Amino acid sequence: MLKYGHFRKLGLLFILVFLAALVLGCTPQETLETPTVEEPAVEEPVVEEPVAEEPIAEEPEAVEPAAEETSITILIPDNPVAFNGLNTDTGYEQALGELIMLSVADVDPNGNIFPELAVEIPTIENGGVVFDEETWSMDVTWKIRDDVYWSDGEQLTVDDIIFTWDVVAEEAWTPAVDYTESIEKIDDFTFVVHFYEGWIFPDYALQFGGEDFFIYPEHYCDAEQGFYEWDCDDEPLSSGPYVLEEWVADDHLTFVRNPNYYEAGKPAIDKVIVRITPEEAVEKTLMLEGDADIHYWPGEDIGKEYESQDNGVELLIAPTERWVMRLIPNLTMPGDETAPHPFLSDVRVRRALRMAVDVDTILEQVFLGYGEPVWTEFFRPPYNVCDIPRPEYDLEGAAALLEEAGWTDTDGDGIRECNGCPNAEDGTVMSMEFAIYAEYGETLELAQQLIAESFKEIGIDTELTMIEGAIMWAPAEDGGTEMAGNFELDMWDDGYPGLDPTDNIIWTYYLSNNLELEGFNVGRYVNEDLDAWLDEAYTLDEEYRKEVFCEIAAILEEDLPQILLWSALDSHGVSERLQGVQPSANDPLTWNVADWTIKE
Amino acid sequence: MLQYIIRRLLQAIPMLFLISVLLFALVNLAPGGPMTAYSRSNRIAPEKKEAIRRSFGLDKPLPVQYIVWLIGNDWMPVDTDGNGITDSYGTRKGVLRGDFGFSYRNREPVLNQIADRLPNTIYLMTITLLVVGVVAIPIGIISAIKQYSKFDLTATTLSFMGQAIPEFWLGLILILIFYATLENPFTGEPLFPAGGMYTLDAKFSILDRIWHLVLPVTMGMVSWVAWYSRFLRSSMLDVINQDYIRTARAKGQNERKVLYKHALKNALIPLVTMFALDFPYIFAGSLYVELIFSWPGMGRLYYDAATARDYPVLLAVLTIGAAIVIFSNLFADIAYGYLDPRVRFE
Repeated sequence: MLKYGHFRKLGLLFILVFLAALVLGCTPQETLETPTVEEPAVEEPVVEEPVAEEPIAEEPEAVEPAAEETSITILIPDNPVAFNGLNTDTGYEQALGELIMLSVADVDPNGNIFPELAVEIPTIENGGVVFDEETWSMDVTWKIRDDVYWSDGEQLTVDDIIFTWDVVAEEAWTPAVDYTESIEKIDDFTFVVHFYEGWIFPDYALQFGGEDFFIYPEHYCDAEQGFYEWDCDDEPLSSGPYVLEEWVADDHLTFVRNPNYYEAGKPAIDKVIVRITPEEAVEKTLMLEGDADIHYWPGEDIGKEYESQDNGVELLIAPTERWVMRLIPNLTMPGDETAPHPFLSDVRVRRALRMAVDVDTILEQVFLGYGEPVWTEFFRPPYNVCDIPRPEYDLEGAAALLEEAGWTDTDGDGIRECNGCPNAEDGTVMSMEFAIYAEYGETLELAQQLIAESFKEIGIDTELTMIEGAIMWAPAEDGGTEMAGNFELDMWDDGYPGLDPTDNIIWTYYLSNNLELEGFNVGRYVNEDLDAWLDEAYTLDEEYRKEVFCEIAAILEEDLPQILLWSALDSHGVSERLQGVQPSANDPLTWNVADWTIKE
Repeated sequence: MLQYIIRRLLQAIPMLFLISVLLFALVNLAPGGPMTAYSRSNRIAPEKKEAIRRSFGLDKPLPVQYIVWLIGNDWMPVDTDGNGITDSYGTRKGVLRGDFGFSYRNREPVLNQIADRLPNTIYLMTITLLVVGVVAIPIGIISAIKQYSKFDLTATTLSFMGQAIPEFWLGLILILIFYATLENPFTGEPLFPAGGMYTLDAKFSILDRIWHLVLPVTMGMVSWVAWYSRFLRSSMLDVINQDYIRTARAKGQNERKVLYKHALKNALIPLVTMFALDFPYIFAGSLYVELIFSWPGMGRLYYDAATARDYPVLLAVLTIGAAIVIFSNLFADIAYGYLDPRVRFE
């Protein structure tokens, strides 16, 4: 039997374990771990102390009366991977990168490109862009500010821009990589980009900017580590309005004002705390209790609550949309690219599918009104100029189209069979798999169900599935359903950053740049006319580009390789005390964080 | 006893080996893969994508990947530039030498990621389990001693509720009541915080740490208290009907001594088995508690690694978890022999 002494020992053990656990949990968190590989051979960045000779425009802060420290709290659900817009995983890398990193140029919510590190945006008119019509080539001269310093006091120069470009071009990729022949340094604050002859890069103004491209410090980053592996995007040196003070993984990040920031008197808010809060209901509660200032991308139901009630939180919505929910039909047989799909290969069927989707009802009932119908790829300024009429929701018309395509219900079970259809044997049942990706959440699932019900009404049977994005978009060799062509109808959202749709259209529809060349023409769509028009889009003549895009819009409307449905609004919950926040579909919410203020 | 422990440890080696093979195969054969992040990205050159695949070791057949994972590749020539010619030796040491590799997602050593979160999980789960013991044991004892009393019926009802309440929902309700509704009457602040391990920007305070523990521990302990108290009640009822208890009473020992010296000690013995089963949670954490209370622990690390197909992190957590299960069972068996003389090691 158990002896009394044993219990005393066990009791003592319990007390020791309890104390040990408390000690373990109560160990104060360290700020910013050191990199796991060798430090660059430079001094450790000291954020507070600029070098002695650095020009600081403002009055010494000591003479100002001591003001109370201001801070805001931003809620995001995931830990960012790094401060690297090109190495993104959660979507929050760019948002947090904007707090501490600068680009050469950026774009505002209304689509206007503005200089950040640049002195001005080069154009043909101001002589910054030289276009040689004979060789069909262009050079772009950039002048950058001479008053920008890294948080360790080193001056930001052209060397940093060229260093970043070289690493990106070597290891990562942006559209400009394909066009850029060389970058020439003129002096510390001037450089010229030489593009290949025969190639025009219309989006040149955002070559070193936009939401993805940040400039990294040459003296601090170790290029040998590699762009995706280097430590300088985990423990970054700042050129932006804030400096990263602390990052406790899965818990929070703390940013403090960068005393070396080049814009005098900015940022107005001393500290930004980013709390990783995975559960959305908790995010909402924190917002409503006044313990947080920004709820990044709330769900529609919570957004509605913010908007409709007087609870100290506003719902701010970007002026334009970006991500378009779409049906992506596989025009070929699943697993056999050489054979046409029995019915999705027929444009009449695809048109019938589009007519059967009641976009307005879905937006109203599922997305609570936070979405806009979209039916063409060219719906964002400045290329929203094409006259493509909005398709009608018309179940009877859809049924008639299916009849015309040779699909009728002969056995009375409500599902159509092939009777003289062009790409299937008679008797083939009109049934397909209809997949969405799991990560989007419940709203997409509800939308999928509503769409499937509509399809059933016109005699199309669907098997609804929901799979992880990690499977849907994996490479073919890893079992990726789309890349391998093992799907029938998928639904997910896509969109392009910045202002220029060209590359996105190429990746999505251009046949000669299809899957083997890392494109995403997963529906296996072929149209040589479209390919030819896409080649025409590479010009600096904006008016001609609009014409080209309208030609492409007409072809896509005619062929319907993808069925565009709606764009959910880019919205954020923002506390009423926080001023100056402007959501943007072109950039993360934090694009103008230096201008934010707190209302007294 | 020593011989028994050595034998069990030796038996654990092939078991761990088999488990590692199974885990490695299951993780790698699941659809999808770590390259999905690069597949959907237009921001990486195809040749660099291949280089990343090579650097992850994903270009090798699965058995070779397993060998590299297990014993490393610093002894084998590797082809780093993909030209088909081996040009240097690998850098991996393998898990047998304590190298769990790099996280595919964050590109940092897996052990660093675990080291960041494991102390937080041990801290939360140890205290949760201790509180479970402190609350559940008295409830179980009193319920058994006063069987069918009002206390017993109330405890029984509450314990059924405790087992039935969804943990996720309970956490949200706790936040709604103790953070969003009730206030500290002296400060006007919420009675308890809605998440996190400590107050940001505040000086270190043990009271602050405990304040942040109250709701997560409450959420985590409810179903455990329900289960442990029911188990102890049943175990205690079994014991107090035994002959030796009747004998103790017949010899005139007072009831208090009979219950606490003779009955309780023996009724607690089966709890060792339960504790051994629950012991791995101290390291694995509770995903729901971590999600609701934004607790940076192992549960979330595992969940994120699973969704991102971060194989090295997944395998490290699963393998360490399997080892802990095996060793906690061994510990339970040893403790049994120590606590109950009827159990003999053979």
